Amino acid sequence: MSGERFAGALDSADDRIVAGRAADGDTVAFAVLVRRYTPMMRAYARRILPGSAEVDDVVQDTFITAWGQLPELENPERVKSWLMRITSRKAVDRLRSSRPHADIDLLEPVAPPFATPPRRVEARAGVAALSAALQELPDAQRECWVLRELGEYGYEEIAEELDLPLSTVRGLLARARKYILVRMEQWR
Amino acid sequence: MTGDESMELKTLGVEPEDLDGFTIEDLADYLDADRTPPNPAIEESAGCRLALDALERLRGMTPDLRASDEAAELAADDTWVQGILAGIALDARAGRRIPLADEGLGGDLAITEGAVRGLIRAAETVVPGVLVGRCHLDGDVTEPGAPVLIRLEVGVTYGLPIPAMVERLRAEIGLRLRAHTDLVITGIDIAVHDVQLRESNADAATEGER
Repeated sequence: MSGERFAGALDSADDRIVAGRAADGDTVAFAVLVRRYTPMMRAYARRILPGSAEVDDVVQDTFITAWGQLPELENPERVKSWLMRITSRKAVDRLRSSRPHADIDLLEPVAPPFATPPRRVEARAGVAALSAALQELPDAQRECWVLRELGEYGYEEIAEELDLPLSTVRGLLARARKYILVRMEQWR
Repeated sequence: MTGDESMELKTLGVEPEDLDGFTIEDLADYLDADRTPPNPAIEESAGCRLALDALERLRGMTPDLRASDEAAELAADDTWVQGILAGIALDARAGRRIPLADEGLGGDLAITEGAVRGLIRAAETVVPGVLVGRCHLDGDVTEPGAPVLIRLEVGVTYGLPIPAMVERLRAEIGLRLRAHTDLVITGIDIAVHDVQLRESNADAATEGER
Protein backbone atom coordinates (compact mmCIF):
# COMPACT_ATOMS: atom_id res chain seq x y z
CA MET A 1 0.00 0.00 0.00
CA SER A 2 2.95 2.32 0.39
CA GLY A 3 4.20 1.08 -2.93
CA GLU A 4 3.67 2.62 -6.29
CA ARG A 5 3.81 6.36 -5.79
CA PHE A 6 7.04 6.03 -3.82
CA ALA A 7 8.85 3.87 -6.30
CA GLY A 8 10.53 6.97 -7.74
CA ALA A 9 11.86 8.10 -4.38
CA LEU A 10 12.94 4.57 -3.57
CA ASP A 11 14.88 4.39 -6.81
CA SER A 12 17.15 7.14 -5.62
CA ALA A 13 17.23 6.14 -1.96
CA ASP A 14 20.41 4.70 -0.55
CA ASP A 15 21.02 1.01 -0.06
CA ARG A 16 20.50 1.09 3.68
CA ILE A 17 16.94 2.33 3.39
CA VAL A 18 16.05 0.19 0.37
CA ALA A 19 17.56 -3.02 1.74
CA GLY A 20 16.05 -2.32 5.17
CA ARG A 21 12.59 -2.13 3.64
CA ALA A 22 13.19 -5.26 1.58
CA ALA A 23 14.30 -7.04 4.75
CA ASP A 24 10.98 -6.03 6.27
CA GLY A 25 9.06 -7.52 3.37
CA ASP A 26 8.60 -4.60 0.97
CA THR A 27 8.70 -6.20 -2.48
CA VAL A 28 8.74 -2.80 -4.21
CA ALA A 29 12.02 -2.06 -2.43
CA PHE A 30 13.33 -5.49 -3.33
CA ALA A 31 12.51 -4.80 -6.99
CA VAL A 32 14.62 -1.63 -6.71
CA LEU A 33 17.57 -3.76 -5.57
CA VAL A 34 16.97 -6.17 -8.45
CA ARG A 35 17.04 -3.34 -10.99
CA ARG A 36 19.97 -1.63 -9.33
CA TYR A 37 22.29 -4.62 -9.14
CA THR A 38 21.31 -7.05 -11.89
CA PRO A 39 23.87 -5.76 -14.44
CA MET A 40 26.67 -5.77 -11.86
CA MET A 41 25.82 -9.31 -10.79
CA ARG A 42 25.46 -10.58 -14.33
CA ALA A 43 28.83 -9.12 -15.25
CA TYR A 44 30.51 -10.66 -12.22
CA ALA A 45 28.90 -14.07 -12.74
CA ARG A 46 29.94 -13.96 -16.38
CA ARG A 47 33.58 -13.44 -15.38
CA ILE A 48 33.39 -16.54 -13.19
CA LEU A 49 31.39 -18.55 -15.74
CA PRO A 50 32.47 -17.20 -19.14
CA GLY A 51 30.46 -18.43 -22.08
CA SER A 52 27.93 -20.06 -19.82
CA ALA A 53 24.21 -19.96 -20.43
CA GLU A 54 23.76 -20.16 -16.66
CA VAL A 55 24.61 -16.58 -15.80
CA ASP A 56 20.97 -15.51 -15.56
CA ASP A 57 20.14 -18.57 -13.46
CA VAL A 58 22.96 -17.67 -11.08
CA VAL A 59 21.71 -14.11 -10.71
CA GLN A 60 18.11 -15.19 -10.27
CA ASP A 61 19.12 -17.78 -7.66
CA THR A 62 21.16 -15.14 -5.92
CA PHE A 63 18.22 -12.79 -5.59
CA ILE A 64 15.93 -15.55 -4.33
CA THR A 65 18.48 -16.55 -1.70
CA ALA A 66 19.04 -12.89 -0.85
CA TRP A 67 15.33 -12.33 -0.27
CA GLY A 68 15.28 -15.22 2.18
CA GLN A 69 18.38 -14.04 4.04
CA LEU A 70 17.91 -10.28 4.00
CA PRO A 71 16.40 -10.14 7.49
CA GLU A 72 19.67 -11.56 8.86
CA LEU A 73 21.85 -9.02 7.04
CA GLU A 74 23.11 -7.01 9.97
CA ASN A 75 24.23 -4.03 7.99
CA PRO A 76 21.80 -3.32 5.13
CA GLU A 77 24.04 -0.60 3.69
CA ARG A 78 26.48 -3.36 2.74
CA VAL A 79 23.88 -5.07 0.58
CA LYS A 80 25.90 -4.54 -2.60
CA SER A 81 28.99 -6.47 -1.50
CA TRP A 82 26.74 -9.01 0.19
CA LEU A 83 24.97 -9.64 -3.12
CA MET A 84 28.36 -9.98 -4.81
CA ARG A 85 29.31 -12.65 -2.26
CA ILE A 86 26.17 -14.65 -2.85
CA THR A 87 26.66 -14.30 -6.61
CA SER A 88 30.16 -15.77 -6.45
CA ARG A 89 29.05 -18.58 -4.20
CA LYS A 90 26.25 -19.52 -6.60
CA ALA A 91 28.54 -19.22 -9.62
CA VAL A 92 31.22 -21.37 -7.98
CA ASP A 93 28.58 -23.98 -7.14
CA ARG A 94 27.71 -24.17 -10.83
CA LEU A 95 31.39 -24.55 -11.72
CA ARG A 96 31.74 -27.43 -9.30
CA SER A 97 28.72 -29.24 -10.61
CA SER A 98 29.92 -28.89 -14.20
CA ARG A 99 33.50 -29.91 -13.39
CA PRO A 100 33.29 -32.43 -10.63
CA HIS A 101 36.70 -34.04 -10.10
CA ALA A 102 39.32 -32.19 -12.08
CA ASP A 103 42.59 -31.77 -10.26
CA ILE A 104 42.78 -28.04 -10.37
CA ASP A 105 46.55 -27.89 -10.07
CA LEU A 106 47.08 -29.95 -13.19
CA LEU A 107 45.05 -27.69 -15.41
CA GLU A 108 47.67 -25.83 -17.38
CA PRO A 109 47.07 -22.86 -19.64
CA VAL A 110 45.85 -23.82 -23.05
CA ALA A 111 45.72 -20.26 -24.28
CA PRO A 112 45.31 -19.70 -27.98
CA PRO A 113 48.46 -17.76 -28.92
CA PHE A 114 47.84 -14.09 -29.63
CA ALA A 115 44.08 -14.07 -29.80
CA THR A 116 42.93 -10.86 -31.44
CA PRO A 117 45.35 -8.44 -29.80
CA PRO A 118 44.19 -4.84 -29.64
CA ARG A 119 46.33 -2.56 -31.78
CA ARG A 120 47.08 0.14 -29.30
CA VAL A 121 46.94 0.26 -25.57
CA GLU A 122 44.87 3.19 -24.56
CA ALA A 123 42.74 3.20 -21.45
CA ARG A 124 39.90 1.43 -23.20
CA ALA A 125 42.17 -0.87 -25.12
CA GLY A 126 43.93 -1.75 -21.87
CA VAL A 127 40.65 -2.92 -20.44
CA ALA A 128 39.93 -4.88 -23.60
CA ALA A 129 43.37 -6.49 -23.40
CA LEU A 130 42.83 -7.39 -19.77
CA SER A 131 39.45 -8.80 -20.61
CA ALA A 132 40.92 -10.96 -23.38
CA ALA A 133 43.78 -12.13 -21.18
CA LEU A 134 41.32 -13.19 -18.50
CA GLN A 135 39.43 -15.27 -21.00
CA GLU A 136 42.60 -17.08 -21.94
CA LEU A 137 43.39 -18.09 -18.36
CA PRO A 138 42.72 -21.65 -17.27
CA ASP A 139 39.57 -21.85 -15.17
CA ALA A 140 41.20 -22.18 -11.76
CA GLN A 141 43.51 -19.22 -12.30
CA ARG A 142 40.72 -17.09 -13.66
CA GLU A 143 38.42 -17.94 -10.77
CA CYS A 144 41.09 -16.98 -8.23
CA TRP A 145 41.86 -13.74 -10.01
CA VAL A 146 38.20 -12.78 -10.41
CA LEU A 147 37.35 -13.52 -6.78
CA ARG A 148 40.41 -11.59 -5.60
CA GLU A 149 40.25 -8.53 -7.86
CA LEU A 150 36.57 -8.21 -8.75
CA GLY A 151 35.07 -9.90 -5.70
CA GLU A 152 37.61 -8.41 -3.28
CA TYR A 153 38.07 -11.72 -1.49
CA GLY A 154 41.00 -12.34 0.81
CA TYR A 155 43.27 -15.30 0.04
CA GLU A 156 41.80 -17.40 2.84
CA GLU A 157 38.29 -16.64 1.64
CA ILE A 158 39.15 -17.78 -1.88
CA ALA A 159 40.65 -20.98 -0.50
CA GLU A 160 37.46 -21.64 1.42
CA GLU A 161 35.15 -20.77 -1.46
CA LEU A 162 37.02 -22.90 -4.00
CA ASP A 163 37.83 -25.62 -1.49
CA LEU A 164 41.55 -25.43 -2.21
CA PRO A 165 44.62 -25.22 0.03
CA LEU A 166 45.76 -21.67 0.67
CA SER A 167 49.14 -22.40 -0.92
CA THR A 168 47.41 -23.53 -4.11
CA VAL A 169 45.38 -20.35 -4.23
CA ARG A 170 48.49 -18.23 -3.82
CA GLY A 171 50.22 -20.18 -6.57
CA LEU A 172 47.25 -19.91 -8.94
CA LEU A 173 46.98 -16.17 -8.33
CA ALA A 174 50.69 -15.66 -8.94
CA ARG A 175 50.45 -17.56 -12.21
CA ALA A 176 47.36 -15.63 -13.25
CA ARG A 177 49.09 -12.33 -12.54
CA LYS A 178 52.24 -13.32 -14.39
CA TYR A 179 50.26 -14.45 -17.39
CA ILE A 180 48.19 -11.27 -17.48
CA LEU A 181 51.25 -9.04 -17.04
CA VAL A 182 53.09 -10.76 -19.86
CA ARG A 183 50.09 -10.64 -22.18
CA MET A 184 49.45 -6.98 -21.49
CA GLU A 185 53.11 -6.23 -22.05
CA GLN A 186 53.04 -7.97 -25.42
CA TRP A 187 50.18 -5.75 -26.45
CA ARG A 188 51.75 -2.47 -25.41
CA MET B 1 67.84 -10.46 -19.48
CA THR B 2 65.57 -13.39 -18.82
CA GLY B 3 67.71 -15.93 -20.58
CA ASP B 4 64.51 -17.36 -21.96
CA GLU B 5 64.34 -16.71 -25.67
CA SER B 6 60.68 -17.74 -25.93
CA MET B 7 59.64 -14.68 -23.92
CA GLU B 8 59.96 -11.56 -25.98
CA LEU B 9 60.19 -9.30 -22.99
CA LYS B 10 62.36 -6.33 -23.66
CA THR B 11 61.86 -4.82 -20.26
CA LEU B 12 59.35 -6.34 -17.90
CA GLY B 13 60.22 -9.73 -16.48
CA VAL B 14 58.06 -11.76 -14.12
CA GLU B 15 60.41 -14.51 -12.97
CA PRO B 16 62.69 -14.34 -9.91
CA GLU B 17 65.77 -13.96 -12.12
CA ASP B 18 64.25 -10.75 -13.51
CA LEU B 19 63.21 -9.57 -10.07
CA ASP B 20 66.42 -9.86 -8.08
CA GLY B 21 65.17 -13.02 -6.47
CA PHE B 22 61.69 -11.78 -5.59
CA THR B 23 58.55 -13.36 -7.00
CA ILE B 24 55.42 -11.77 -8.45
CA GLU B 25 53.65 -13.11 -5.38
CA ASP B 26 56.09 -11.23 -3.11
CA LEU B 27 55.48 -8.06 -5.08
CA ALA B 28 51.71 -8.45 -5.04
CA ASP B 29 51.85 -8.90 -1.25
CA TYR B 30 54.08 -5.85 -1.01
CA LEU B 31 51.56 -3.79 -2.99
CA ASP B 32 48.70 -5.16 -0.86
CA ALA B 33 50.59 -3.77 2.15
CA ASP B 34 50.80 -0.38 0.38
CA ARG B 35 54.57 -0.77 0.10
CA THR B 36 54.91 -0.37 3.85
CA PRO B 37 57.22 -0.81 5.57
CA PRO B 38 59.36 0.15 2.57
CA ASN B 39 61.60 -2.69 1.47
CA PRO B 40 64.81 -1.19 0.06
CA ALA B 41 65.77 -4.43 -1.67
CA ILE B 42 62.56 -4.21 -3.68
CA GLU B 43 62.52 -0.46 -4.14
CA GLU B 44 66.12 -0.41 -5.40
CA SER B 45 65.63 -3.22 -7.88
CA ALA B 46 64.92 -1.97 -11.38
CA GLY B 47 63.24 -5.25 -12.30
CA CYS B 48 60.98 -5.12 -9.25
CA ARG B 49 60.04 -1.52 -9.89
CA LEU B 50 58.99 -2.35 -13.45
CA ALA B 51 56.89 -5.24 -12.23
CA LEU B 52 55.37 -3.15 -9.42
CA ASP B 53 54.42 -0.47 -11.94
CA ALA B 54 52.82 -3.10 -14.16
CA LEU B 55 50.95 -4.63 -11.24
CA GLU B 56 49.73 -1.21 -10.17
CA ARG B 57 48.59 -0.36 -13.69
CA LEU B 58 46.75 -3.64 -13.76
CA ARG B 59 45.10 -2.96 -10.44
CA GLY B 60 44.15 0.52 -11.62
CA MET B 61 42.34 -1.06 -14.54
CA THR B 62 40.10 -3.25 -12.42
CA PRO B 63 37.45 -0.60 -11.75
CA ASP B 64 37.36 0.20 -15.48
CA LEU B 65 36.99 -3.49 -16.28
CA ARG B 66 34.14 -3.75 -13.81
CA ALA B 67 32.42 -0.69 -15.26
CA SER B 68 32.86 -1.84 -18.85
CA ASP B 69 31.61 -5.36 -18.02
CA GLU B 70 28.59 -3.90 -16.29
CA ALA B 71 27.84 -1.51 -19.14
CA ALA B 72 27.88 -4.45 -21.55
CA GLU B 73 25.11 -6.20 -19.65
CA LEU B 74 21.43 -5.67 -20.25
CA ALA B 75 19.49 -3.63 -17.73
CA ALA B 76 16.90 -5.51 -15.74
CA ASP B 77 13.65 -5.21 -17.67
CA ASP B 78 10.20 -5.66 -16.18
CA THR B 79 9.94 -9.30 -17.28
CA TRP B 80 13.17 -10.08 -15.45
CA VAL B 81 12.09 -8.25 -12.29
CA GLN B 82 8.65 -9.85 -12.30
CA GLY B 83 10.23 -13.27 -12.84
CA ILE B 84 12.29 -12.85 -9.70
CA LEU B 85 9.42 -11.45 -7.65
CA ALA B 86 7.32 -14.44 -8.72
CA GLY B 87 9.97 -16.74 -7.28
CA ILE B 88 10.25 -15.26 -3.80
CA ALA B 89 8.31 -16.49 -0.82
CA LEU B 90 6.13 -13.61 0.29
CA ASP B 91 5.02 -15.28 3.50
CA ALA B 92 8.64 -15.38 4.63
CA ARG B 93 8.17 -11.96 6.18
CA ALA B 94 4.97 -12.54 8.14
CA GLY B 95 6.86 -12.58 11.43
CA ARG B 96 5.09 -12.95 14.74
CA ARG B 97 1.36 -13.23 15.16
CA ILE B 98 -0.03 -10.25 17.01
CA PRO B 99 -3.42 -10.86 18.65
CA LEU B 100 -6.23 -8.34 18.30
CA ALA B 101 -8.97 -7.93 20.88
CA ASP B 102 -12.13 -9.54 19.53
CA GLU B 103 -14.82 -6.99 20.11
CA GLY B 104 -17.57 -9.45 20.91
CA LEU B 105 -17.19 -11.25 17.60
CA GLY B 106 -15.92 -14.37 19.29
CA GLY B 107 -13.24 -14.89 16.63
CA ASP B 108 -9.54 -15.43 17.04
CA LEU B 109 -8.28 -12.24 15.45
CA ALA B 110 -4.68 -11.42 14.77
CA ILE B 111 -2.46 -9.33 12.54
CA THR B 112 1.03 -10.34 11.44
CA GLU B 113 4.15 -8.46 12.41
CA GLY B 114 4.83 -8.00 8.71
CA ALA B 115 1.49 -6.29 8.25
CA VAL B 116 2.25 -3.97 11.17
CA ARG B 117 5.54 -3.03 9.55
CA GLY B 118 3.57 -2.31 6.39
CA LEU B 119 1.29 -0.01 8.39
CA ILE B 120 4.30 1.82 9.78
CA ARG B 121 5.88 2.24 6.35
CA ALA B 122 2.59 3.50 4.92
CA ALA B 123 2.66 6.42 7.40
CA GLU B 124 5.34 7.97 5.22
CA THR B 125 2.70 8.85 2.64
CA VAL B 126 1.59 11.82 4.74
CA VAL B 127 5.13 13.17 5.22
CA PRO B 128 6.56 13.99 1.80
CA GLY B 129 10.33 13.66 1.68
CA VAL B 130 10.52 10.79 4.17
CA LEU B 131 11.23 7.16 3.38
CA VAL B 132 10.95 4.53 6.09
CA GLY B 133 13.71 1.92 6.17
CA ARG B 134 14.16 -1.01 8.54
CA CYS B 135 11.73 -1.17 11.40
CA HIS B 136 11.71 -3.24 14.62
CA LEU B 137 9.00 -4.08 17.12
CA ASP B 138 10.78 -4.61 20.45
CA GLY B 139 8.76 -6.45 23.08
CA ASP B 140 6.55 -9.49 23.29
CA VAL B 141 3.99 -8.50 20.70
CA THR B 142 2.29 -11.89 20.97
CA GLU B 143 1.22 -11.10 24.53
CA PRO B 144 -1.80 -8.76 24.72
CA GLY B 145 -0.97 -5.66 26.74
CA ALA B 146 2.79 -6.19 26.73
CA PRO B 147 4.77 -2.96 26.24
CA VAL B 148 6.20 -2.53 22.75
CA LEU B 149 8.85 -0.12 21.55
CA ILE B 150 8.87 0.74 17.85
CA ARG B 151 12.29 1.53 16.34
CA LEU B 152 12.76 2.60 12.76
CA GLU B 153 15.23 4.21 10.41
CA VAL B 154 14.21 6.86 7.94
CA GLY B 155 15.77 8.63 5.02
CA VAL B 156 14.98 12.30 4.61
CA THR B 157 15.33 14.46 1.55
CA TYR B 158 18.13 16.98 1.73
CA GLY B 159 17.13 20.49 2.78
CA LEU B 160 13.86 19.69 4.56
CA PRO B 161 13.28 20.45 8.27
CA ILE B 162 14.13 17.15 9.92
CA PRO B 163 12.71 17.63 13.46
CA ALA B 164 9.30 18.70 12.17
CA MET B 165 9.14 15.82 9.72
CA VAL B 166 10.16 13.26 12.32
CA GLU B 167 7.52 14.60 14.71
CA ARG B 168 4.86 14.43 12.02
CA LEU B 169 5.85 10.87 11.12
CA ARG B 170 5.86 9.75 14.74
CA ALA B 171 2.36 11.15 15.26
CA GLU B 172 1.08 9.48 12.10
CA ILE B 173 2.56 6.09 13.02
CA GLY B 174 1.00 6.31 16.50
CA LEU B 175 -2.35 7.15 14.99
CA ARG B 176 -2.29 4.27 12.54
CA LEU B 177 -1.12 1.74 15.12
CA ARG B 178 -3.84 2.76 17.55
CA ALA B 179 -6.44 2.53 14.79
CA HIS B 180 -5.43 -0.88 13.51
CA THR B 181 -3.80 -2.75 16.40
CA ASP B 182 -4.09 -3.16 20.15
CA LEU B 183 -0.37 -2.79 20.74
CA VAL B 184 0.67 -0.90 23.86
CA ILE B 185 3.27 1.42 22.40
CA THR B 186 5.83 2.78 24.89
CA GLY B 187 7.67 4.82 22.33
CA ILE B 188 8.50 5.32 18.67
CA ASP B 189 12.23 5.82 18.14
CA ILE B 190 13.09 7.28 14.77
CA ALA B 191 16.70 7.38 13.61
CA VAL B 192 17.29 9.62 10.63
CA HIS B 193 19.78 7.71 8.64
CA ASP B 194 20.15 9.08 5.23
CA VAL B 195 19.90 12.61 4.02
CA GLN B 196 19.30 11.67 0.48
CA LEU B 197 19.85 13.89 -2.47
CA ARG B 198 17.03 14.01 -4.93
CA GLU B 199 17.46 15.14 -8.50
CA SER B 200 15.70 18.46 -7.91
CA ASN B 201 18.19 19.69 -5.35
CA ALA B 202 21.25 17.63 -6.13
CA ASP B 203 22.62 20.55 -8.13
CA ALA B 204 22.51 22.80 -5.12
CA ALA B 205 24.41 20.36 -2.96
CA THR B 206 28.14 20.01 -3.05
CA GLU B 207 28.25 16.27 -3.46
CA GLY B 208 26.43 14.33 -6.13
CA GLU B 209 25.07 10.86 -5.89
CA ARG B 210 24.13 8.26 -8.48
